[in-house]
Amino acid sequence: MSKVKNETRDKSRHNPKLAMILSILYAGLGQLYNRRYGKAAVLIIVETAYLIAFADYMNIGFWGLVTLGEIPMVDHSIFLLIQGLISVLLLAFGLTVYIINVRDAYKEATEIRNGKKRPSWSEALRHAWDTGFPYIFITPGVVMLMFVTFLPIMFMIALAFTNYNQYNSPPRKLLDWVGFENFVNLVKIDIWSDTLFSVLAWTLIWTLVATTLQIALGLFLALLVNDPRIKGKRIIRTILILPWAVPAFVTILIFSAMFNDQFGAINKDILSIFGLSFPWLTDPFYTKIALIMIQTWLGFPFVFALFTGVLQSISKDWYEAAEVDGGNRWQKFQYITLPHILYATAPLLIMQYTGNFNNFNIIYLFNQGGPAVRGQNAGGTDILISWVYKLTFETNNYNMAAAISIIIGLIVIGFAFFQFRRTRSFKEEGNI
Amino acid sequence: MKKALSVFLVFLLMVGILSGCGPDRDSESKTGDDQNTNNSGEEVEKPDKLVVWVNDEEKQKEALEQIFNKYTEETGIEIEMVEVSMLDQIQNLSLDGPAGKGPDVFFQPHDRIGDIVLQGLADPIDLGDEKEDYSETAISAVTYDGETYGAPLVVETYGMFYNKDRVSEAPKTFEELQKIADEQTNASNEEYGFLMEAANLYFIWPFFASNGAYIFKRGDDGSYDTNDIGLANEGAKKAGEIIRNWFDKGQIPVGITPDIMNGLFKDGKVSVVINGPWMAREYQDALGDKLGISILPEIDGNVGKSFVGVKSWMLSAYSENKEWAVDFMKFITNKENSLTYFEIAGEMPANEAALTDPLVTDDPIVGAFAEQVQYGEPMPSVPEMQQVWEPANKALELLSKGEDTGVLDEAVDQIKANIIASGGGQ
Repeated sequence: MSKVKNETRDKSRHNPKLAMILSILYAGLGQLYNRRYGKAAVLIIVETAYLIAFADYMNIGFWGLVTLGEIPMVDHSIFLLIQGLISVLLLAFGLTVYIINVRDAYKEATEIRNGKKRPSWSEALRHAWDTGFPYIFITPGVVMLMFVTFLPIMFMIALAFTNYNQYNSPPRKLLDWVGFENFVNLVKIDIWSDTLFSVLAWTLIWTLVATTLQIALGLFLALLVNDPRIKGKRIIRTILILPWAVPAFVTILIFSAMFNDQFGAINKDILSIFGLSFPWLTDPFYTKIALIMIQTWLGFPFVFALFTGVLQSISKDWYEAAEVDGGNRWQKFQYITLPHILYATAPLLIMQYTGNFNNFNIIYLFNQGGPAVRGQNAGGTDILISWVYKLTFETNNYNMAAAISIIIGLIVIGFAFFQFRRTRSFKEEGNI
Repeated sequence: MKKALSVFLVFLLMVGILSGCGPDRDSESKTGDDQNTNNSGEEVEKPDKLVVWVNDEEKQKEALEQIFNKYTEETGIEIEMVEVSMLDQIQNLSLDGPAGKGPDVFFQPHDRIGDIVLQGLADPIDLGDEKEDYSETAISAVTYDGETYGAPLVVETYGMFYNKDRVSEAPKTFEELQKIADEQTNASNEEYGFLMEAANLYFIWPFFASNGAYIFKRGDDGSYDTNDIGLANEGAKKAGEIIRNWFDKGQIPVGITPDIMNGLFKDGKVSVVINGPWMAREYQDALGDKLGISILPEIDGNVGKSFVGVKSWMLSAYSENKEWAVDFMKFITNKENSLTYFEIAGEMPANEAALTDPLVTDDPIVGAFAEQVQYGEPMPSVPEMQQVWEPANKALELLSKGEDTGVLDEAVDQIKANIIASGGGQ
């Protein structure tokens, strides 16, 4: 009797705050206080292992991230920067576990005080497995993602704030943090700003025109082929998908040869019949036209395939109902076909735009971003991404290339985010 | 309250971590060059092995393996051959070197030397008496800021190929060449007297250099003055006019690419082209006995100054066996081994004695290029050169489209701006 009473008094005196503070002092102490011995042991081992394994590494890492090294030839700024970024990731990971640990201690202590029964070993284990199951399976993926995707992005962002270029390269020189200087130079120094804005303008025009054209052509052909009066649909579809089946870089290189001003088939064999000849590769305007046409050729089959699939899934009832109501062809297209298609495919179409925004292959393989334009740093058809490539690999302006990459990233993210938010198919997942 | 407390504690934790930051180091080692303190005359201990990075090309590896084995026989030093593409070596060295996994010796074209020195990856070497053994052009190529940075193994340059069916012998002077272009060009029939990649600074350089243009003014000690760019001087303008004239008259088609040029030459539709020895085999397969090879024509009384590239062995700054590494480099590039390398890998030796050996000079293909080397000049090895190619080639392209030679001035302005913008020029 007195024992039971003792225990209930014990429970009401059990203090969640104390558990929390103990857990903050060292992971697992709070759990020990809560008498969850298994959990406490695991947490104590994890924190001890973490400290033993990473303390030194993170020490150098944070020091490196702040100073970027102090002695040339001994400290390698790039290594230190990467080590620093990994340390940040490790710290973030550690803090997450720590916060979970503190919250857990507090929560359990509260439950104990409120008189909840202590679960048995097997119960606790099953509970942990049930709630932890999804986390256990996504952990390897998340860790991979951290190092394969997230770390390089952080590295690039960090580079944009350093003075890393050809003349300031480790290990002989150390890098320094320069704040927003690179971005300021991009707008303030003439040779950067002139080029930046003309390249940006063409990048946007290129993205809008080339992508819209490829979507329009794909839509047009899909509608035609889907018409019930057309015979031999399969063969026509196969033929129309063909440009997609040939690897893009092969197509582009062949087009590049075909568009040659004097020796290419287009001027020599096709246009010469009409007495025409255009400077496809030597005049920026015509190169742009050629690029847009080639991208349309390369891009329409995907859109065509996509739309064909959606068109076949539209129920005939809609059209019959429309006919009963006296709707004409255009109205049926406008109010039935188009909404159906766009509703189902909008996210993929947006991807087409962002894909073209960074379509390095076609620009670089077709004419290396050329032809040259008087008084401009980049070539006449360079888009942002191909310009970044030139800055990095031809003139070794790593810091500037990183700064422009950030700008590219922001534009693409902004565009995609805005569009995805407005697309209904993303808002109402799964209930079409 | 709870939140504030935890934030505060996290903050405490961060401060705790950061305050203890940084590696433990003796303040003495801050000078940074506590390596090689024992290079004071006395006999250096023989290492067990040297690590060498070689280009990943089958023939080259085969040749080098033979040479390396000979060195091991003579000295007992093991040579560890690691295959790293020449294009990747600098980047890999900048990562592996500091980590202690780098080579003692690596292999690079000389025009990267400036860049390598900027990154502090290579140490200068002392070739001693053997310095005289290399061709003068090759030594001048590997000299940077008055110091020698490489033991040259290979030289390369371009020359003139001609079709014996169309011209009985190679043009000796620029005037003869121009005459061939004037008389034998029939663009509507796709026949050309003379073709070259005229909008490429590398190949067109003889026409600039022989008229008095220079990229960076070179001093007597071999250093370059990167503020003095001679790409828009009188000689350069003259060369610019020549180039513009070719395109203007249609003697060289606008937008010519190497593929088109090689295709036409192999079809026997072109009399003379300027190109490198790497195309020799392909040309020979197509033209057989009709193919002739010679040095460049004289321009104003001097043989055209072609750009010479030199590939040399360089000493890693992270090597711990520098004396023996240099000994090893001299061994690979001596006359005998240079000839072995030439026979197997087919690349022209930079060793003067080997370059003038009948084995090389009597070679029907390489002979002419070997002769051309002595008239050529090395490409500048300063890092600023990296900023020259783009604007210069752009100017040449604009000239080919009929713009005036003012584009050369603009190119020079742009090169200067680029150098400053990329952090150089101080």
